[in-house]
This record gives sequence, C-alpha cells and structure tokens, in this order.
Amino acid sequence: MTLKKSAPYPVPAEGVKDLQTLSMKTLSYLIARNCKVYFRDKGVFLVSLMAPLILLFLFVAFLGNVYRDSIRSVATGFPLTDELVESIAAGWLISSLLAVCAVTIAFTANTIMVQDRATGQAADFRVSPVPRSLVALGYFLSTFFVTAVICFVALGAGFVYIGIAGWYLTAADLLLTVADTLLLTLFGTALSSVVCHFLRSQGAVTGVQATVSAAYGFLCGAYMPIGNLATGLKNAIMFLPGTYGTGLLHSHLMGGAIGEVGEGLPAEAVTQIVKGMRDGFDCDLYFFGNAVPSWVCYLVLAIATALLVGVYVLLCARKRK
Amino acid sequence: MNIIEIKNLKKYFGEVKAVDDITFNVEKGEFFAFLGVNGAGKSTTISILCGEQKRTGGSVIVDGKDIDEAPAEIGKKLGVVFQNSVLDRSLSVRDNLKYRAALYRIYGKEFEDRLRELTALFGLKELLKRPVGKLSGGQRRRVDIARALVHSPEILILDEPTTGLDPQTRKSVWETVNAIRKVRGITVFLTTHYMEEAADADRVVILDGGKILADATPLELKNRYTGDFINLYGGKETEVRALGLAYEKVGEAVRIEVENTAAATELILKHPQLFTDYEIEKGKMDDVFLNVTGKRTE
Repeated sequence: MTLKKSAPYPVPAEGVKDLQTLSMKTLSYLIARNCKVYFRDKGVFLVSLMAPLILLFLFVAFLGNVYRDSIRSVATGFPLTDELVESIAAGWLISSLLAVCAVTIAFTANTIMVQDRATGQAADFRVSPVPRSLVALGYFLSTFFVTAVICFVALGAGFVYIGIAGWYLTAADLLLTVADTLLLTLFGTALSSVVCHFLRSQGAVTGVQATVSAAYGFLCGAYMPIGNLATGLKNAIMFLPGTYGTGLLHSHLMGGAIGEVGEGLPAEAVTQIVKGMRDGFDCDLYFFGNAVPSWVCYLVLAIATALLVGVYVLLCARKRK
Repeated sequence: MNIIEIKNLKKYFGEVKAVDDITFNVEKGEFFAFLGVNGAGKSTTISILCGEQKRTGGSVIVDGKDIDEAPAEIGKKLGVVFQNSVLDRSLSVRDNLKYRAALYRIYGKEFEDRLRELTALFGLKELLKRPVGKLSGGQRRRVDIARALVHSPEILILDEPTTGLDPQTRKSVWETVNAIRKVRGITVFLTTHYMEEAADADRVVILDGGKILADATPLELKNRYTGDFINLYGGKETEVRALGLAYEKVGEAVRIEVENTAAATELILKHPQLFTDYEIEKGKMDDVFLNVTGKRTE
C-alpha cells in the first residue's frame, strides 16, 4: 500500500452548515443511492422486472380462456364480437396484474431498508448527523420510484397487449389508469414500508414477500371477481383498501370495451347487459349491497395510504432504546 | 485537553449490566484503546457514544458538548469504522464515498476535493471505479476507513477493525491508521480484544463485565501487572534449575520471570557466568490482561 504522507488532510470547513436542517440534496442522494443499490443487484432487479411480464404470460396462458368463457357466459343471449371478448379479457388481465404488482413489487423494492439493517448500513446512517426521518423518507421515495418504474413498464406492456386484443380505451381511461397505478403504487409503498419496518433479516423479508405475492391477489379481488366469492368473504374483502384500487383499474381498463357491448340493441337491454358485465367483473363495487362511486374508491385508497404513511412516520420517530 | 469525557456511564438490559458505572476520559489526539473480551461492554459503550443507544445513567461529553443536547453536532465529529464493513458491495468505491459524504452535506466540488485527498492518502486511485464487492479484504477495509474520514471527523472510532482479517491485512490496516494519525493528529478510539493492538496505544482501559478494571498506559500496566522476563540462550536450563528460579522453556530459550528490571539486573550481576547470551523484556499485554481479569484472550 502506498501512503502519500505529504497529502494535506483537510481541516473541517469553517462555519459548518446546520446539519439538522432537512436537506433536499441529501435526500436526493439517499434516494439515488437506494435506487442504485437496487438496480445494481441484477438478480433482484431482473426478477422484479420479469415478475409482471411472467405473471402476464401465466395469466394469458392459463386463465385467458377461463376469462373469455366467463365473459361470454355473462353476456349469454347478447351478440358479442370476438374482438370485444378479447379486449375485455385483456383489460381484466392487465388491471389485475397492475393491482397485484403495485403492492408486491413495493415489498421487493423495500428490501433495501431491511438489507441495510442486516448489513449494518443502518447503524452507519444513525451515527451520521442526518435525521432518521430523512433516511426513512429516502427509503419511502426510492421504493415508490422503483415500484412505479416497474409498474409503468408492466403498464406499457399491458397497453401493447390490449392494443393487440382490441383498443377501446379513451384518453380519459389512459390518464385515469396512470393515476390509479400511481395511487396504488403509493399505497403499496406505504403498506410495505410499515411491514418492512419490523423486519430485521433478509430471510424475514423473503418470507413476507412470498406470502404477500401468494395472498394479495386473492385479497384485493385481482385473481377472481369478487362476485364469485361467498357473501362473507365478499364483505370482508370490501374492508381492505387494496380492493378499491383493483376496482378502479378494472373500471378504467375494461369500461371502454364493456361500453361497446350490445351495440344495436335497445337502450334498456344495453344498460342491463353493461351493468351485468360491470358488476360481474368488479368495475363497480358494492359495500354491503350499496354501490361505491369512483370518488369514494379514490378516497378510501387515499385515506388508507395517508394512515399507513402516518403509522410509518410514527414508527420512524420512535426513540432509540 | 479531554475530547471525550464519560462519567458514571451505565447501561442495563433488565438484570444484565452491560456497562456498569464506568468513568474515563480520552485526550485530544490520543490513541486510546478499549480492551476486553466479547461481551465486556465495549461495543455498548461505543453505541452510546455514537448516539445509537440510550444510556441508563451517567453522562457523555464530546468536545465539551453533551450527547443529549447536541447529537448532530457530535455526529459530525465522529467517524466510525464498524466491525463489519458497511460499504455497498454492488456500488463502486467512488459511489460509496460520494453517498457517505452527502450525509454530511458534502457534494460537488467540495466532495471532489475531499475525494482527491482521500485517494492520495489511502492509495485508492486504481480502486475508485471498482465495485466494493470485487475488492480484497484489505482494500475494502481501507475504503471503510476512508469512508469514516470523508467528513474530516475529529475522532476516529475503530470498533474491532481487524477482527477476522488475516495478519497481512491487519498490518495494512494499522499502517493506514498510523499514517492518518501522523498526518492529521486525529484522536483514535479503538476497541479490540487483540492485546498486541492495544500495546501500541497511548492509553489502555481494560473492561470486563461492564466495569473498568484498569486504566493506564501500556508501560504502566506492564509495570503494575506483570514482571520482567529474562530470555536466556545457550541451553542453560540445568544451571537455572539449580539456582531455584521460576522459569519456562520457550523455544531455544529459558524464560525466567523476575519482579522488575532492577531484580533482573541484580540477578545478572550476581551470576555473570550464566548470563552470557540473554535479553530482558517487559511482560506482554496478554500477561497484563490475564493478571487483571483472570481471563486469557484469543
């Protein structure tokens, strides 16, 4: 090792800056560091990126026909073109996929927080003068960013798939789908941040990820239409905020195609079949039999996210022992 | 002038007294060693000093400021090298230093200047672009130390920095630390269970069971807790045994323990025909530690 003893070592600058002050620049470095650590781990990154695409393939390959048959059975007695069936099925698949990914990918992205605890990085942050709240915010925002990037890649692939199946989406549908995805990503980030706050090892986070990946799709009404479930389970699922996000995505990605069903039939018949299909595929949700408007779905999701963020802030603000 | 003042520090975990009413000071520019076996309370004391853990009682003053009143101010004065590397293995050396510096609001040109100085001091030029995961153990440790110094702290805390490293890497780490001390005059606070590392310190505190058992310079400790040793060469075991002296065979030498240097001189003058090829040495820190704590170190 060559040590250049002549090199002058810097004396701390005069008038040291106030490190207690929340620094946006330091926050941006924390976010950049977390994202870089995540994306540099090619294994984790590729698996996260591939997961939605693999899920899409599995959905199409194994459940595509089930959904197509289901759509035809709901519309029995009404004329329905193959393109409409394909488009509605594609809308269901992509909306379900996005609803699941926004939460499961957030759990994977939040691995950095747990990994830092396991490797001692967290201790290094704690001995620095950076407030813990800034470090926690860094994890939150980087998780949101990583999850959003992957979800939008999935959304892009989804739009291509829907385009091939049959494009009935309006500009408003597109914008609202983007908004739904962002809101669900924020919800997933908040939920994963609260859960991951209690995890201390890679093994624990892997276990939680596996559980969430397996269960969340059923719990949020993504894998099976809620109408197909038993009444008790149906009501229970409506207490979970994720369900409302899934409902919004179903509505915005399937609504356009469903609106085309029954063209040329009397208005009353069209209304009946459209309502039947929207209800059957969770585009419209019901809480104990009462219709839930879209704005209430957004409100539920926003309040749940705000509460989770509040819990996360409280957890992070807890005093050291 | 004291840069660290710890008074009646206590840290209890229920019935377990991890740190039990310890008081000591560290002078500015001093190489201070905290010596003890695993579980002695060293790391707990460091954690409290760094603000990671709350204490049960006592006070911690760093550079005249109470740790409760100015934690961020004190955080700026400390650079910590943890027992395990805390570098991001997937990131380059440069990125690791850059993101660490940002925690102290050192960015842009200020960081580039700092990086240039650290690169020169630690010989990191060839390593800057390499991912930390691809570095050798010694190189990684050097980067760890550079990372701890990126904000020019006044106190460098080394928490068992060489545990698990091979002898050559340990030597390399100590060359680096000694060079920093020479160039910068920084205060070094070392915790270790390696006796030979503590032997080079300006002052050593021996901790056991959360209590301080000894606090002095290595020489004072050796004088107080061990005798001197005369290593006698030339196969004279029979003569030594005939004199009734306590001894042990160490390789080719007969090692005779005497009370102190004066007693060694007296013995040699009394038996000049016996002591033709010999050396006198002080007791080692292992002997000090054994006599102070009753425990052998690793």
